[in-house]
Amino acid sequence: MSHWRAKPWAGFFAVIAVFALVLSACGGGGAKTTEQPKTTAPTAENKPVKGGTFTFAETSDIITLNPAFINDVPSADAAFFINAPLYDMDNKGQPIVSQWSLAAEPFQVQNGGTTYIVKLKPNLKWSDGQPLTADDVAWSANVIANKDLGSPLVSYFDQVKQAKALDPTTVEFDLKKVYAPFVANVLMGAWVMPKHLLENVPVKDLQKNPYGTDPAKTLSSGPWVWTKWVQKQYLEFEVNPNYWGPQPNIQKIVYKIYADQNTAVQALLKGDVDMFNGIPVPSLPAVESNKNITLVNQPGPSWDYLGLNFKGSNFPQFGNQSPFAGIKTRQAIAYAINRDEIIKQVIKGYAQPIDSPFLPTNWAYKAGAAVTYSYDPEKAKQLLAEDGWKMGPDGYLYKNGHRFEFTLQYNTGNLRRQQVSAIIQQELKDVGIKVNIQALDFSTWIDQWINPGKGQAILLGWYGGLDPDNEQIFSSKYFPPNGQNWGWYTDKEIDALWEQGNSTTDITQRKEIYAQIAQKISTDLPYIFLWQLNIIGGYNKRVHWQPEDAPFQALPYAYFWHIQNWWVSPQS
Amino acid sequence: MGEYLVRRILQSLLVLFLVSVVSFALIHAAPGGPTAIFLRPGVSPEVQRIQAHNLGLDRPVPIQYLNWLGLMLRGNFGYTFKNHLPVAQIVWPTLGNTLILMTTSWVLALLIAIPWGIYSSTRQYGLADNAGSVVGYIGFSMPAFWFGILLQMFFALKLGWFPLSDMHSMGRSDLGDLVWHMVLPVTVLVLINLAGYLKYSRASMLEVLNQDYVRTARAKGVPERRVVFRHALRNALIPVVTVLGLDLPIVVAGAALTEAVFNWPGMGQLFVQMAFAREYSVLMAITMIIAAMVVLGNLLADILYAIIDPRVQLGAGGAEAR
Repeated sequence: MSHWRAKPWAGFFAVIAVFALVLSACGGGGAKTTEQPKTTAPTAENKPVKGGTFTFAETSDIITLNPAFINDVPSADAAFFINAPLYDMDNKGQPIVSQWSLAAEPFQVQNGGTTYIVKLKPNLKWSDGQPLTADDVAWSANVIANKDLGSPLVSYFDQVKQAKALDPTTVEFDLKKVYAPFVANVLMGAWVMPKHLLENVPVKDLQKNPYGTDPAKTLSSGPWVWTKWVQKQYLEFEVNPNYWGPQPNIQKIVYKIYADQNTAVQALLKGDVDMFNGIPVPSLPAVESNKNITLVNQPGPSWDYLGLNFKGSNFPQFGNQSPFAGIKTRQAIAYAINRDEIIKQVIKGYAQPIDSPFLPTNWAYKAGAAVTYSYDPEKAKQLLAEDGWKMGPDGYLYKNGHRFEFTLQYNTGNLRRQQVSAIIQQELKDVGIKVNIQALDFSTWIDQWINPGKGQAILLGWYGGLDPDNEQIFSSKYFPPNGQNWGWYTDKEIDALWEQGNSTTDITQRKEIYAQIAQKISTDLPYIFLWQLNIIGGYNKRVHWQPEDAPFQALPYAYFWHIQNWWVSPQS
Repeated sequence: MGEYLVRRILQSLLVLFLVSVVSFALIHAAPGGPTAIFLRPGVSPEVQRIQAHNLGLDRPVPIQYLNWLGLMLRGNFGYTFKNHLPVAQIVWPTLGNTLILMTTSWVLALLIAIPWGIYSSTRQYGLADNAGSVVGYIGFSMPAFWFGILLQMFFALKLGWFPLSDMHSMGRSDLGDLVWHMVLPVTVLVLINLAGYLKYSRASMLEVLNQDYVRTARAKGVPERRVVFRHALRNALIPVVTVLGLDLPIVVAGAALTEAVFNWPGMGQLFVQMAFAREYSVLMAITMIIAAMVVLGNLLADILYAIIDPRVQLGAGGAEAR
């Protein structure tokens, strides 16, 4: 699913931190221009100028900038400045050749979809002046695909049989089978490593190599080079003098680390940083009232869900059967939860309800394909009765002598989920279902409950990636511990559709298949789909862009959309 | 004294060894691990297993402990798991940053609290004493992070007199810049520490001033100033010194919340981050530094007793301090 973007949108489970906001009348669709550069000082502000420093805030330090081991958003954000992608993306997330892509022309698909030919630009260079060739690209892909490396990206390369350099500017990727997400995962998602520096490092030792942690030993294929890392404090990037593409305007980028979101917001307000993406909703009023800050407040790639477990052994007190087994019971739960009200009360409106795992901001979304469950407690009660639940004397429903009762888990410290779980508890009580709430430390939760497929119900989120494939979440081929189908959901028809979806390369056909999945999955409800969250970015008005280069939130890294073209006013 | 010191140091080493065994076991027993965080959709446990193997995390915990101990005895804290950075390179700078912040606030708090406590005790329920009570209540009850945010709002955002956060301005490392950045966090920490020390020194002085020998001194006509500073103060300081010894580890461990509010790159914050990341070797290094400070703090307190109170003799022949 999701996260296909080797750039780790991986925090996935960790939707923890990112909250969001609402946006305007945004229903769907890609890039939205936010505010244009103000015309207060027409000269410097409308015409790009070279030079200057752009400082942005992050709430975590990087782990490594070695492309083979990047698995967290902070590291990916930093690596973004020093890596050129094979293919760039347009504002809908589709692959394109651009002035910044390593590829010189669109890829060719051969052998019915199992071979991809990529033609590179002829003048590519690493920041040490060495040429970047098809050899680097093929070598990187083969190394990451090597199981002995232990790369977290290995699943993206799972279907890659081998990559070879046909000549210095031509790479051939041979796949094991037709696999459409390969384009988003590898051609758009993966970054290249310098073969000439690393080919003699044994694969098992690559994770311990200073490539990626020592700026002096880490090369750049992108517009900036990494010049400095003061751990836990900041990183610095400067224009890459050996860059093969157009020189960016901004001379220096500072990645500044703050202890938490609130500290970062204060720094944005004060003007210590020029940008912070991930402003918490409660801080929004203070940011809005600051005249120096432009907000980019739009739906991002993350969404929340209420996961239901179908494995009987997780419900010993219910006769080792899942109370969620009946489809009408699941639909009743969907009707009993007032998503609009929760969005209004808890998320202050900064989210949109969703009915399937296909976000309105993704190309695979088809309006009206999925079933919508509007708040209707009476309907919920009726469906529960139809499914055989009988009201007991204590005000809760019973079936076969067992009370309808389950435990809902979320991660400690996530205020949004804490509040949402309390409301769900109350709303389900109103229709006769008893919900017990359990908050768990994130690592413990993932390790002891999520990975092994234990627990009864969860409040969690995913980051949706570029490709709409979600097979690993919903297919019975991916039960724990081998995949992320945490709830042991099984539907052979849906299994087959996912497979069909990712083995079709034609995008129109794929879109049709995903519309079918949306219809089926929203009827069957392995999850109760909740909402797509807004992400709120704040940009100081000294940062400028042309309308077509305006940052947005729906795609990975789009908060740095075309940053190569941005420019900054001199520091006041 | 020499023999006493040797005995205490040997005891301390034993304590540190036991602390290391227990902490190592506990830290490794926590669910999850450095590689678990890598998991995401499509990443099978196989990847986690390969990484654990490449990083040596799949070996039995006792073996891992012995490896760690071996490195430690050679003065090496080991390496982080996820990115193989030397732990010393991460821990020592943050410890330094914490010490700068904490010792400054600690010393300032003492310089204010002890004279204030003495003065209050000699004029019980006077203006200074009542003011001290108010400061004490505020210091005890006000959350440090909240006070920190208030100071930031007013002095950094509104008035712009002081920097909002961080230890240095970008690109500067001079003392003036550092001091300027320290003003707000030090103010917070002084207020928090002040409350305790003020109460201790005042209570301790009051107790001593009511002792018979003080009354005797006054009765035989010793001037009040001499009574307070000569007769009472030395005895009154003993409990204060005990508290100081116990607080030494706090000076090192840092104040995670205050550090977070002011984005001070200290060890308190580091420990919290590394606990979430399950970076075992960093956690062990910090745990051992704090344990060493606990041991050292106690030792220093005992030695200070001997200096303040000649009745206390350290060593084989003498009575041990309390």
